[in-house]
Amino acid sequence: MKLNKFRKKSPWILHYNTGGCNGCDIEILASLAPKYDIERFGALNKGNPKQADILLVTGPVTKRCKDVLRRLYLQMPEPKVVVAMGACGHGGGVFRNFYHVENGVDNIIPVDVWIPGCAPRPEALIDGIVEAIEILQTKSKEKEYIRNHNEIIDKLGAKDD
Amino acid sequence: MASFVILNILIPWIFALCVYFFKKDIITNFLSFLLLPILAFLSFKIFYGNLPIYIHTSKFFDILMDIYDFGLLFFFLYVGIKHKNAYVTSLALLQITLLIIVLSILPSSSTANIYVDKLASFIYIIVALVGTPIIIYATKYMDYNEKNKHKFVAILLWFLGVMNFAVSVNNIEWFFALFETTTLASYALISFRKDKEAVNNGLLALWMNQIGGVAILIALMLMVKQNGYYYFTDILNHPKNVAIAALGFLSLSALVKGAQMPFQNWLLGAMVAPTPVSAILHSATMVKIAPYLILRIAPVIHNTLLAKLLIITTGFVFVSAAVIALTQDNFKRILAYSTISLLGLMMLTAAVGTPIAITASLILILFHAFAKGFLFIEAGILEKAFHVKYITQMKRLIEKAPLTMMFIFFGFLNMTFVPFGAFVGKWMMIEEASNFLTHGSYILLIVFVGAGSAFLSILYMKVLGISVRKAHGIENIKFIHLPKTFNFISFWYYLFLLSMAIFIAPLISNFIVSIAKHLTNYHINIYSSNLSLTINNSTLYFWQILGALIILTLIHILPYFVKFKADFVQPYNCGENHPKYLGTWDFECIKKYEPFLMAFSIALFIITVVLGGGLL
Amino acid sequence: MINLLITIFAPVLGGFVFGIERIIKARMQSRIGPPVLQPFYDFFKLMDKRAYIIHSLHALMGIMYFIAEWFTLAVLLLGNDLLIAVFFHVIAVLALVIGASSVRSPYSVLGGLRELMHMISYEPLMVLMAVSFYLITGSFDIKTILSFNGYPIFQMPLVFFAFLLVIPMMLQKSPFDIAEAHQEIIGGPEIEYSGPFYEAVYTGKWIEYIYVFTFVFLFGGNHYWLGILLVIFTFIFVNLLDNSTARLDYRKMVKFSWFVLIPLAVLNIILIAMWR
Ligand code: SF4
Repeated sequence: MKLNKFRKKSPWILHYNTGGCNGCDIEILASLAPKYDIERFGALNKGNPKQADILLVTGPVTKRCKDVLRRLYLQMPEPKVVVAMGACGHGGGVFRNFYHVENGVDNIIPVDVWIPGCAPRPEALIDGIVEAIEILQTKSKEKEYIRNHNEIIDKLGAKDD
Repeated sequence: MASFVILNILIPWIFALCVYFFKKDIITNFLSFLLLPILAFLSFKIFYGNLPIYIHTSKFFDILMDIYDFGLLFFFLYVGIKHKNAYVTSLALLQITLLIIVLSILPSSSTANIYVDKLASFIYIIVALVGTPIIIYATKYMDYNEKNKHKFVAILLWFLGVMNFAVSVNNIEWFFALFETTTLASYALISFRKDKEAVNNGLLALWMNQIGGVAILIALMLMVKQNGYYYFTDILNHPKNVAIAALGFLSLSALVKGAQMPFQNWLLGAMVAPTPVSAILHSATMVKIAPYLILRIAPVIHNTLLAKLLIITTGFVFVSAAVIALTQDNFKRILAYSTISLLGLMMLTAAVGTPIAITASLILILFHAFAKGFLFIEAGILEKAFHVKYITQMKRLIEKAPLTMMFIFFGFLNMTFVPFGAFVGKWMMIEEASNFLTHGSYILLIVFVGAGSAFLSILYMKVLGISVRKAHGIENIKFIHLPKTFNFISFWYYLFLLSMAIFIAPLISNFIVSIAKHLTNYHINIYSSNLSLTINNSTLYFWQILGALIILTLIHILPYFVKFKADFVQPYNCGENHPKYLGTWDFECIKKYEPFLMAFSIALFIITVVLGGGLL
Repeated sequence: MINLLITIFAPVLGGFVFGIERIIKARMQSRIGPPVLQPFYDFFKLMDKRAYIIHSLHALMGIMYFIAEWFTLAVLLLGNDLLIAVFFHVIAVLALVIGASSVRSPYSVLGGLRELMHMISYEPLMVLMAVSFYLITGSFDIKTILSFNGYPIFQMPLVFFAFLLVIPMMLQKSPFDIAEAHQEIIGGPEIEYSGPFYEAVYTGKWIEYIYVFTFVFLFGGNHYWLGILLVIFTFIFVNLLDNSTARLDYRKMVKFSWFVLIPLAVLNIILIAMWR
């Protein structure tokens, strides 16, 4: 039995706001609410990287939370997909080139799906998730790495003690 | 057969003398190893011999005993004056006065002074199989920067003999003497290190147990006054017209000896002594006198108001000691509280007094002795070899002390979980009590047993939880080399507990039921077939026993051997770095209720003696 | 025979119950909700994930939890004593709690400790319930209770009521989903499990559904229609409660259980004992 066809039936989402204006997050909540109800596709907002398949990142990634984002990414078991939501996540959006931001998710972790808009509508979000599921199905269980993995991994304190 | 009984008492004393006078390591070690097979042989021989054994002694011994009594009490008086302790002094004076009154009214009797039945020989077996290994352990333990090793071992040896003697006397006046001798032994052992704290705690143990002695003397007076006899066998043979007040005072002394709240402090104070002392006080000797005494009078007090009040008192202690234990952070103190709690359960089951309840009580005594001796020995090893005393120091114990940790885990499993003796005791008690829920105390009993066992299990899980905590793999376990003696004793208990759990059904239906039958003269509806245990209509099937045992064994052994081939990740902490140390709850919120629990237990105590004893 | 079948297929059955529950919950919130087979989709998806563990002990405890839970159900359905099954449940809790506290994640440790608080809230009541079944039917045996010609529910309504409010504690439902607390400690004891190991814990929870609802079914005696009605009623009631209440503090849960539910059950037992 090919198990990877079940991936599309239950995408569990980890949502992380890296310092955006919260507009995107409200749209995410709206998509969970009765009107859009993404649970009918089996999607759950898990809030826990260990059990999630899709990392849904909003915001421009402030300096303070870039390590957090890396750890969350590393703690997610493969296969996993990263979805960057909103203009902030794409290149900084309204926060672009501020002193405290990293100008987008892609500078920290590899991104698979981009959902444009500021803020994107829930329909756009659902569309993005569907796209992400498609990518999820084609991915293998190989380990994936963050950008500059080897230099950064020591700094994250992921070593045994 | 009678000579075996006498040997059983005398051999530990002779060995103690040898150890005390030779003061040679080789002799001490040899004798303590030799004692194990000797006592085991003698006790089993007595158990399967012709019971009961009556030994008549000449008048000379009576007089000797009286002289010994006075000597002991004057020694207490001396201790009280020397340490300027008002309690000890005044209680010793009171005891001397009461003893004079008792001796002046004591009628002569032709009943045998020594009476060994199955119950007494059951205690012999426990002393032999649980007590003696502790002495072997002590010979090694005292090598770790402790003074006066030989004296210490000698006192322990002597204590075993005293314990054997105490459970085989029939004459309550003699019983008083031996009861006070165990008090003396506990005083000597607790204040062994001779520093200020040790002496204070020793004196505490002394005066608290003296209250028990006073209670026995009062019981003796009442008994002689009303009935004119003062022998256990006479009480059992004429259950109708025994002074219930006397029995009330006897059970009071049992409650004191069993460190039931509010008298728990002496047993808690015992932890300042070297750990073998706690091991021997908690498991084989001393506190086991308490359930023993209740078991002795159980057929007489069965279904009286006294028994019902005893059930409420001890049941309350069972729950509240377990609750208070949650707030403690010293490992030995936690163990001590759980002993107090389980002693409450043993006395509760003994006080119910139906044949099945008595069986449950005996099961609890046996299994508790093994498990508690085991746990205290491991606590001593932790203290000496790994310098761990508090549960906050127990973090990552699973790496630092893998074998000891595994043993502690198993010891804890023995105290509450399914196929082990403590569970079987509770289960039997609930099943039995469901048959006669006509009195409030029996309904309370069920609540107490259910709640107390839940509290005890969360206590153990809390302690275990902190010692298995670890960020990453336990791949690099170092099996630290421990002394051979320690390992021998640990495995002795471990294998005993494990095999007793597997063969629990035949063990209960052949061995323990025979004792209960002997005590109550009723047929007991417990039998085993194919290693399954049946009580009335309920069966603990062998597949259940085995399944639970396998699951629990896997839980406590497998972590050292299983290594999954998988990637390791950090624990989740909102993406931040995980903390290096995590504590556990200290249940501070319970602490403020402690005075209330204490006050309530004092009230119950007084009610038990006053109402149960029919003093009003 | 049917007991054996239920025991063997408990994970499947529990999965269905869980799926139906997710739909009912969604409908109560006027959503459509996932398909009935959703738990199984999740199951297969989790099987296909890369295995990530904190350390072997932790992962092992997840599997032991599943085994212990299943075995507990077997003891309940195939053995002949309710009490033993109640005590067996503690083993499952042991595995869960040891696993939860073996990692250095504050959420997991906190969840483990809260799980213990759950245990002291429901364990005494389960014992009382077993005893009251004994008082009415004269046996702890599940087969005798199921062939008892009477209506246990009408003789022990207070026990049933107490049990109804204990079920949220056992199944981690609001207002007593304190150990799991998804918005607060993100699943508590189960947080650190992932992939195939999470699957074990997840399935263990489904079996717990069957375990709990078996007890509810017993309240019908030999009137199976009543038992089924009670199960359905309980199922809907618990979900309604879950959807309409906020989470409580763990102290409130323990107090509620000890000062309201247990006295109620005891009162019922006293009445039964006096009636006989
Ligand atoms: S993309 Fe727009 S709405 Fe979304 S977080 Fe950024 S600024 Fe806010």
